Amino acid sequence: MTNAGALADATHAKGDEIIILEGVDKYFGDFQALRNINMRVGRQEVVVVIGPSGGGKSTLIRCINRLEKHDRGRVVIDGIELTDDIKNIQEVRRETGMVFQQFNLFPHVTVLENVTLAPRQVRRMPKKEAEELAMAMLARVKIPEQARKYPGQLSGGQQQRVAIARALAMQPKVLLFDEPTSALDPEMIKEVLDVMEELAATGITMIVVTHEMGFARAVADRVVFMADGEIVEVGTPEHFFTSPEEARTRQFLAQIL
Amino acid sequence: MTIAEVETTGTTRPAQRLSPLQWTRRHLFRTWYDALITAGFGALFAWTLVGVVRFLITADYTILRLNLALFMLGSFPRSQLHRPAGALLLIALAVGLAAGALSAQRRDIAAVMGLPYRSGRMREVVRRFWPALLLVVIFLALTETITPTLLAVGAAALGFAGTWVGKRLPVKARKVSWAFLLVLPLAVYFILAGLGGVGWRGWGGLHLNLFLTFAGILLAFPLGLLLALGRRSSLPAVRTLSVAYVEFIRGVPLITLLLMGAFALGLFLPSGLAPGIVTRVLIAITLFESAYIAEVVRGGLQAVPRGQVEAAQALGLSPWKIMRLIVLPQALRATIPAMVGQFISLYKDTTLVGVVGLPEVLSVGQDVNTQPQFLAQGLERLTLPFAGLIFWVGSYTMSREARRLERKLGVGER
Repeated sequence: MTNAGALADATHAKGDEIIILEGVDKYFGDFQALRNINMRVGRQEVVVVIGPSGGGKSTLIRCINRLEKHDRGRVVIDGIELTDDIKNIQEVRRETGMVFQQFNLFPHVTVLENVTLAPRQVRRMPKKEAEELAMAMLARVKIPEQARKYPGQLSGGQQQRVAIARALAMQPKVLLFDEPTSALDPEMIKEVLDVMEELAATGITMIVVTHEMGFARAVADRVVFMADGEIVEVGTPEHFFTSPEEARTRQFLAQIL
Repeated sequence: MTIAEVETTGTTRPAQRLSPLQWTRRHLFRTWYDALITAGFGALFAWTLVGVVRFLITADYTILRLNLALFMLGSFPRSQLHRPAGALLLIALAVGLAAGALSAQRRDIAAVMGLPYRSGRMREVVRRFWPALLLVVIFLALTETITPTLLAVGAAALGFAGTWVGKRLPVKARKVSWAFLLVLPLAVYFILAGLGGVGWRGWGGLHLNLFLTFAGILLAFPLGLLLALGRRSSLPAVRTLSVAYVEFIRGVPLITLLLMGAFALGLFLPSGLAPGIVTRVLIAITLFESAYIAEVVRGGLQAVPRGQVEAAQALGLSPWKIMRLIVLPQALRATIPAMVGQFISLYKDTTLVGVVGLPEVLSVGQDVNTQPQFLAQGLERLTLPFAGLIFWVGSYTMSREARRLERKLGVGER
């Protein structure tokens, strides 16, 4: 196997491991979306997943909080293995926040209520405490002044920052980003990436699926390249962008850089 | 010339305001055949208008005057008229309270969001509810004594008093005032029929139609909601049952269910156990309506994007909370137009209970023509439009209010 070295690298993570994927396969009907995924992510690590569309990137991180059910292999998050046990699933979801490409804010409630919803309903936090927490999170993404508005009244960049605050309010151990800037107008991408970069510096574990190579280069501890449902190559940003080993990686980078 | 200049000059066109004469010429008399069509339809319109006005002026309204109570209340015992009067006052108070509380709520929201807020003025109330007000005026004009007018004034006064109080209720009491609206049909039933009252005896006229409509909605809505959720259930048995129920009911005319409720139900139950005719009819209406509401709700559920559920799942919300807090609020909002259409058709469908012998408004409109002094004089031309007007006012008001609500709720849309 030519990429045995890369896979060995993929299983290596600094510190203890919070996310473990072993031999994960995922099918949509006859189509195999994930092929034998092995990946370990350490606490406080920032992993950026890149690769061509349809390569399985989104499916990969959606298997981490069970928005997709994997068909084979093991997914273990912070010591909890994801099985059909609904309790385990809920526990993992409480510990992982997710930010979506389309924001998916709840349009029928205010920004503040978007952020307080989960702490109140899932963590049973009192209203006042939840609102204080929410305002702190909104301040962290730099839009506390929008708290009383409805999502529809905000720009795309602001909405995505609210979505980040909403995920942060559950004080998750892991944050998953599924192409967070792909639906944004160009002038709004930076405000979201800046917030994400600041988050990365706080030491929260992050897995980011993105096409923003600048972000990958600047923020990632490791870059994972996926294509055709496989992890093709893993490495540090310097290694990855300067001397990629795999032909498919080089081809992809040649297309986008 | 810069691009900005080009755009500016491109968008500022000289204002084209037509004088009425110019407008008429351009739109109605552009060519000779336009003129011909305009003249033809103009004549037809004028002829119709003159005919209707002449009819309205010269008609003898005695039949409506003498039977107004029948139109309103059916053969409700006349010695018990204080009951519907009391019910009306209670309704006025409850609606006033709820409206006041709602207005205060909107004022608070507007204040928080820094939007301007105008409190509802008298003029706006008239503009919104003019058909209903017109109907009340017509009713009062047809009455013989002063009592109904006093009652109407009393109800209006209570309504305003309720609004005044509702606006000043503490925040927590607001919800109570809305919940009051939900139990109102029950309260009205108790006032009319309970407390040593008349039971279902003599129920009829407009108050029967209205009662069946509101009680039907309140009973059928939860049932319809459950059926819609059942249709999406992951349990095959629940899903199959829901689908079977909805498809069966939707394949049967309401009149069949009414006839079965009225005549066949008694055959299945031991005698004496079968509930009264109004109850049976209400059960039939509820069963029928819930199937349609289920379909409306299902449409709303499908309109909620998948990403909403995924976002809620990712936050760790339980399936039940996702449904209650995320999916249903959005789904029901999306169904407002269809739901109101359903309610309007229910309101009109209540005329069908006439078939099983209940004296609702339309049946009254026909039956009064069999009274000896009005027999065979073709007075249906008066009584049937009168019944129609009563329905139009309710339906039109519902439809307008629904459009308003839709616009209002639009604030939270994406």
